[in-house]
Amino acid sequence: MKLTKKECVVMLLAGGQGSRLGDLTKKIAKPSVPFGGKYRIIDFTLSNCVNSGLDTIGVLTQYQPLVLNSYIGDGKSWDLDRMYGGIQILPPYQGMGDSEWYSGTANAIFQNMDYIDQYAPEYVLVLSGDHIYKMDYSLMIKFHKEKDADCTISVIDVPLKEASRFGILNADSEGKIIDFEEKPKKPRSTKASMGIYVFNWQKLKKYLSLDDNNPNSSKDFGKDVIPLMLSSNEKLYSYEFKGYWKDVGTIDSLWEANMDLLGCNGFDLSGDWVIYSRHTEMPPQYLSENSKVRNSIVSEGAVIYGTVENSIIFSGVKIGENAVIRDSVIMADVEIKENSIINNSIIDEMVVIGPKLKIGTPKDLNLGITVIPRESIINSMKEEE
Amino acid sequence: MNALGIIFSDMQDWSMTELASHRSVGAIPFGGRYRLIDFPLSNMVNSGINKLCIITRSNYRSLMEHVGSGKDWDLSRKKGGILIFPPYAVGENHGLFQGRLDALKRVLDYISSSKEKYVILSDCDIIYNINYKDVIKYHEEKNSDITAVYINTNINNNNSTHKIIYSFDDDKRACDILVYPVTNGVHDVGLNTWVMNKDFLESLIHDAIARNYKDFSYDVLARKVHSLRIYGYEYQGYYAHIDSLQSYYENSIGLLKNDNLSKLFYSKIGPIYTKTKDSTPTKYCNDSNVKNSLIASGCTIEGTVENSIIFRNVKIGKNTVVKNSIIMQHGIIGENAQLNSIITDTYAQVTNDRVLLGYSNCPFFIKKNSIV
Repeated sequence: MKLTKKECVVMLLAGGQGSRLGDLTKKIAKPSVPFGGKYRIIDFTLSNCVNSGLDTIGVLTQYQPLVLNSYIGDGKSWDLDRMYGGIQILPPYQGMGDSEWYSGTANAIFQNMDYIDQYAPEYVLVLSGDHIYKMDYSLMIKFHKEKDADCTISVIDVPLKEASRFGILNADSEGKIIDFEEKPKKPRSTKASMGIYVFNWQKLKKYLSLDDNNPNSSKDFGKDVIPLMLSSNEKLYSYEFKGYWKDVGTIDSLWEANMDLLGCNGFDLSGDWVIYSRHTEMPPQYLSENSKVRNSIVSEGAVIYGTVENSIIFSGVKIGENAVIRDSVIMADVEIKENSIINNSIIDEMVVIGPKLKIGTPKDLNLGITVIPRESIINSMKEEE
Repeated sequence: MNALGIIFSDMQDWSMTELASHRSVGAIPFGGRYRLIDFPLSNMVNSGINKLCIITRSNYRSLMEHVGSGKDWDLSRKKGGILIFPPYAVGENHGLFQGRLDALKRVLDYISSSKEKYVILSDCDIIYNINYKDVIKYHEEKNSDITAVYINTNINNNNSTHKIIYSFDDDKRACDILVYPVTNGVHDVGLNTWVMNKDFLESLIHDAIARNYKDFSYDVLARKVHSLRIYGYEYQGYYAHIDSLQSYYENSIGLLKNDNLSKLFYSKIGPIYTKTKDSTPTKYCNDSNVKNSLIASGCTIEGTVENSIIFRNVKIGKNTVVKNSIIMQHGIIGENAQLNSIITDTYAQVTNDRVLLGYSNCPFFIKKNSIV
């Protein structure tokens, strides 16, 4: 028996630019955007895999992969440094014939069929690395087996007014998918695809090849492969997921997802379903005699002399005397010097601000989120009157 | 670096009955997320040592669990790496070892088979940051048999019980060594760290076998102070000697004073490594109020915390006030409780409305897993 056989191989799509995150993804791919005090977005998907018992993961990278690659390393932070399987970065590569970038989500998988084949899996789980959620994929795979499906798509109920942002599908009472529309103008249901697919590998191979031969295809799962499978009368099922799930594709949604970690009613990071991440060797956080920290989460190595309210403070952040942070996300190794005031902002990694500067506008004014890009040093600015 | 590290995890556990009742001294939690062994281990790793062993005597389960394969110290290596020696019998040596020399006799094979030129011996009861490269350079310059690291400091007889006091001549060669004397005043106090050439250590061990010597401090340092070239290497900087519950308490709370945190954790030597846990960031609620405290990750703080050290995954309930206290990992302090000068060991619980008071020179200790 081939030792390398795996029942299910995970293909994690991590090559997108995430252009709607603006400055935050100027230098790094969206899955490596920091989140929640000590994590990066991809940690959620990777941890879900490991906690679901899936240990063979190909990560498809294309856009600005440097930070992502070095973050993942050999995968040991997620217990993915395995003898067989484990985590493997799959960048576009040059072949004997045509060489090309990944032209779409389906094309990225198509170009890496050899990677999947070496494990001879029954199933392939396709994921995207840009959502915040905790999900047991093994239950979805079990559902897929029970239904004897060719493809199972995970769906979540979304508010009707937001439905046209997603791939929306209609299913019968058994969960069998009747139709699927990518970003419909007039959605006929509120069941949104989460971009999580379980495929029978042999079926997927067939349709990836068919799709590749279609010159009019955009080589995308939602736009091309799924509709093709549906029109060919394959068995596609929807698997309903209930729980917290957030697409963090925009500045606003990224900020909101961070804020959901505060208080008691949002998304709870703790519990048995551990979210793993790469560690930084930092001492515990220090809160000084004059510090005030309210309704916030704070990570290791933070040193706080000022006031922090309703905010997310990452590791290694320094907040000076009389500085005030409100409704903001302060990413790793940022220094906010004394008497500076930060409101309603996302401050990217390694930024230095102050002293005596104002960034952002109070949340009540509804003027939107201010983003300060990575490694900026802001020490002089006309003080807003 | 061309040196072998030997860390003694529990040379002193007889002096710390409360904290070491169920664990080796090296496994005593310190500073919010560390254990005492992290400090010598990190010193060695930061000095470029990649082969070392830990000698432990009893209650070593938590130590072994903590150190594991050594990967958190980057010591899970193909060449070198880390090895833990629990007690085992060699020839006529049965039972637990009875002193540092006796312990070394039992790992003589390991020492002999090592290729390194130097050996660094270190205990776990002293917390400081040192680069051993500097000590080895000094050891070479002085052409010494044994180089002992010391600090010049003021001691009083309340805390001198477990210290080795050196007297040096002008060239820093030791002319007198006292082991655990009762004394006061400013002295050159040993930091329980010694550098030797490996060959010399082997000859010491052979000599000890022949003469049935067991104790390094008495039988080598004090007895042979004149015949051996024992030199002192002066360390200057942050240091803490943990040799009793009281000194544990004072040095823990002392981290919050005099910039000690940055001296210990942000020194030029390098970071302090420890076993990584996947704790979440710490959550503060609307009524939380924290002053001058060190808080590890994974905590939920709903009450007031002042001048305290809070370890990983601790919960502090609403309207509870914790002052001048040390709450070790997984501690749960309920609502409306008041704690002052308390040390709670791991997994301890204090239920709602309890009022617990110790005093700064007599902290009250709550045992592991106990529920108040």
